[in-house]
Amino acid sequence: MKNIVLTLALTILWCSNSFAHFQMLYTPESALNTGSKIELRHVFTHPFADEHTMDMGKQHDSKENNPVEAFYVINKGKKKDLLGSLKAITWKGNHNSGAAYQSQYKAKRMGDHLFVMQPAPYYEANEEAYIQQITKMVINVAGAPTDWDKELGLKAEIVPLTKPYSIWTGSTFSGIVKSNGKPVPFAEIEVEFLNRDVDLAANAMGKAYVEAPHDSFVTMGIKADQDGKFTFGIPKAGWWGFCALGAGSDTEYKGKELSQDAVIWVQAKDMK
Amino acid sequence: MKKTTMLTMFLMLVIFSTASAHTALMSCFDEGDGTVTCEGGFSDGSSASGVKFLIEQNGKTVMETKMNEYSEVTFEKPSGSYQAVFNAGEGHKVYVDGEDIVE
Repeated sequence: MKNIVLTLALTILWCSNSFAHFQMLYTPESALNTGSKIELRHVFTHPFADEHTMDMGKQHDSKENNPVEAFYVINKGKKKDLLGSLKAITWKGNHNSGAAYQSQYKAKRMGDHLFVMQPAPYYEANEEAYIQQITKMVINVAGAPTDWDKELGLKAEIVPLTKPYSIWTGSTFSGIVKSNGKPVPFAEIEVEFLNRDVDLAANAMGKAYVEAPHDSFVTMGIKADQDGKFTFGIPKAGWWGFCALGAGSDTEYKGKELSQDAVIWVQAKDMK
Repeated sequence: MKKTTMLTMFLMLVIFSTASAHTALMSCFDEGDGTVTCEGGFSDGSSASGVKFLIEQNGKTVMETKMNEYSEVTFEKPSGSYQAVFNAGEGHKVYVDGEDIVE
């Protein structure tokens, strides 16, 4: 009997941890009418269920978290390093808190501002493996498209075929999963809705917007086609994250298995 | 003659559909050093290099130039109220009020 209870408890624990990890690169508004200073938050979490916030850069052999490896923005083809703008914060999820970052960026120039965040690999003790999610997010000033579809040749990358800041609710988002510039056929992609009211002032997640009717709706699994291409219909306004699992070329870190993933965030708007 | 008319009509249609498919765009910011930079563009991503740019005060043109190779213009901030005008032809004009241009 004891064994059954233990098994059940472990199963529940495992299930509750099996929702997708997502590196968030959050800002409230991706389509800006005029240039302005924007707030950014960098949190490693489960954006739909928010049942656990991870410490960014957590290592298996040290109590210190490793710093972010790269953070930059590209506007009109010009790259600007933003590593120095990151400030360490503690992000408060609904169930726990985790090490995260905040930053500000002055998006004064017209066009697309394509952000790339490459955190240090994170040690996931449950899987005895590391996860590194190379994350893209695009904002636009005044509507002129400039850099949103740039292919950067990253180790793991989702190259958008739809402007990530210009999506009506009910339309679709398409992208191609790539690794070092080459498509990843039949890539496994997890899709999650940012299902939380984000409180920038308190650096905290708020209440949930919707409830999933079934666990398969929390993290939706889709696959790319033979050319690495995928399309997903966006049913609700807000931020949606796409994560191509293990798409990257690095497979090992500190002697342990590494899942090098590609993440992109897109924001949908209601027609009203 | 008939052929020429048809060709002209076809070309006009092509020109019309190209011209109407995109929107003219402009965004300006105060450089904080007494100058203002305006950036022009189109919704299809095409360059605004060479597009006419004007500064108007009280309905009069006080400056006229063209967008540079980077689709930008930087000018001395006029005293008093003014409008920056991106003029890419009929239906493709964008006006930005000086008071809306901030750092």
